[in-house]
Amino acid sequence: MASSGTAVSLSNVRKTYRIGEPVHALDGVSLEVPRGSYTAIMGPSGSGKSTLMNLVGCLDTPTEGTVVVGGQDVGTLGDRERTRLRGTEVGFVFQTFNLMPRLNAVENVALPQLFQGVGRAERLERARDLLERVGLGDRTDHMPNELSGGQRQRVALARALVNDPAIVLADEPSGNLDTDTEADILDLFDEFHAGGTTMLVVTHERHVAERADRIVHLLDGRIERIEELNGASGSQPGTPAGQEPGGSDE
Amino acid sequence: MNPLESLRLAWRSIRGHRLRSALTTLGIVIGIAAVIAFVTLGASLQAGVIGDISPDDQRNLYGWAAEPNTEGGPLAGAQPVFTQDDLDAVEDREDIDAAYGYATLQTQAISNGEETVAQGSGLIASGPSYIREERIAEGRQFEMGAREAVLNPAAANQFEENVSVGENLTVTMLGGQRMDVEVVGITDNSEGLSPFEGFESSPRVYVPTNPYYTEQASMLGIGGGGGGGAGNQSLAGGEARFLAIIIEAESADQTDIDAARESATDYLESDAADASELLDDDLEVQLQTSTELLGQLQDVLNLLQNFIVGIAAISLLVGSIGIANIMLVSVTERTREIGIMKAVGAQNRDVLGLFLTESVILGVIGAILGTGLGLVGGYLGAQYIDLPLVYPLEYVALAIIVGMVVGILAGLYPAWRAARTDPIDALRYE
Repeated sequence: MASSGTAVSLSNVRKTYRIGEPVHALDGVSLEVPRGSYTAIMGPSGSGKSTLMNLVGCLDTPTEGTVVVGGQDVGTLGDRERTRLRGTEVGFVFQTFNLMPRLNAVENVALPQLFQGVGRAERLERARDLLERVGLGDRTDHMPNELSGGQRQRVALARALVNDPAIVLADEPSGNLDTDTEADILDLFDEFHAGGTTMLVVTHERHVAERADRIVHLLDGRIERIEELNGASGSQPGTPAGQEPGGSDE
Repeated sequence: MNPLESLRLAWRSIRGHRLRSALTTLGIVIGIAAVIAFVTLGASLQAGVIGDISPDDQRNLYGWAAEPNTEGGPLAGAQPVFTQDDLDAVEDREDIDAAYGYATLQTQAISNGEETVAQGSGLIASGPSYIREERIAEGRQFEMGAREAVLNPAAANQFEENVSVGENLTVTMLGGQRMDVEVVGITDNSEGLSPFEGFESSPRVYVPTNPYYTEQASMLGIGGGGGGGAGNQSLAGGEARFLAIIIEAESADQTDIDAARESATDYLESDAADASELLDDDLEVQLQTSTELLGQLQDVLNLLQNFIVGIAAISLLVGSIGIANIMLVSVTERTREIGIMKAVGAQNRDVLGLFLTESVILGVIGAILGTGLGLVGGYLGAQYIDLPLVYPLEYVALAIIVGMVVGILAGLYPAWRAARTDPIDALRYE
């Protein structure tokens, strides 16, 4: 993981869906996500955010161009290798948490390692450790329906981190949370980011995006502009960059 | 993924839907239980019957005349064709130790002095050697032509004062006439002596065919051939004909038995025999040992068993369709879970394995429960019919394998559907 300075890189990525008329969900996108960075992606509906997520998450392959995740070109991989890459190099955090309903917290966190063939005892120990770190050390044996939304999202974050991935992909991670809980989760993201985790957050909420180092604005399948935060000026002049510089820990 | 982990996860989801899983396995349970119960009963019945055949009955050939290939066990389709003269002639032939008729005389009651007990099962008329010397516990065999009887213990003990050798009994026949018999012997146990009478224990009175059968037959007009006309004819001849005969070979060796059979059949089908008058294209002399007769019974049992197994197979088919159906529902219902698993790195084969494991577990649980139920059913059945219990253990192993196979077959398509679910669609699935 430390072998390269880039966690994910997209070059000239085009994704075309053919439902009657060809639709270019992504139309020539190039983006580098350095290791340890915190990137937010914003854009209206239909701008290509989900497609980008699916490509970076190795759930899909580009029609044209290359997507490199953890040093591997996703487009050249077969289904099995792509699944393996997804399992080891990508951690997902979803808006709806997506925990397995019949597994308790610690088993949910340990699930990705199950598919990597890690032994049960080792898996559960690591999962407990991670739950401790997201502040759920006392909830390890609770079932998802016994946890609050915020707690579930913490479990999901712990699960995303369990394989020590190249990148954590979060899709509207606070979309289902109230304001206080949202702040808690985003604080946790900041904390892990500070610890070296690469974060990519898709959101349409400005204040969520502002936790990142930079915001990539998508429009109609293209990168409209990249806005650098933390006092650095955006790629386009006139953008009110760094309105809340304290939003990020760095 | 480690199979043990698949098992753990699959078990978790089965337990998550207890009622549904239970109902799903019901079809398998019923199918397997039916097979196991009936196979157990069949094996027990067989063991019971074989266990009852005494070795000294092995040299007896049980005979009757019936249409060839009549199924249904001893005396099926039998017609009375054999005369005493025939039997006397057969007894004189080489390779044959004894030949005598066999008949059940219908009775109403037996009296011992003042005491009368109902005797619905009749008198068993046969030759003296029908009751082997070794089986006589007290007294001796009856003699042909004498008004004598041998009782089994159950018959002797049914009076308040047990009947003992030397006492006289009065038998009231079905027609109301009374006959006196002198008890000359008592056997050692109450089980039946031949497949003609059946092997179960019950009170039995054995008497010689002469005079008891001869008198009864001429009185009732028994002894005809196929129809009434033939009956009148033979009645005109004045001689009683036997429906059933017993021919004793010199030993229980197969060669001796075959020689006796051949010798007797040759005579009975020759013109010299009275029987041949009535034997035509439709009737053939059948002479079989207990073992051979049992083979016929076995055929009937097998037929019945195949029938039950056929019904059970249908139940299994319905059961496996039930499993397949529930698995398909389950796959659809858990689309999102499948998406989650794939997102966190589950390979297609992991998902396939998981669902297949689940349906195999359902199948095997069904088979185990069905086997248990079937064994209990077989036990109760054997108790009820009073048979020695024999468990066909190879069927138990077979049942588990069948459960597994049913689970695999039923789960294959749903599991394949689950495995090829697209994670992007699955994660979006509500």
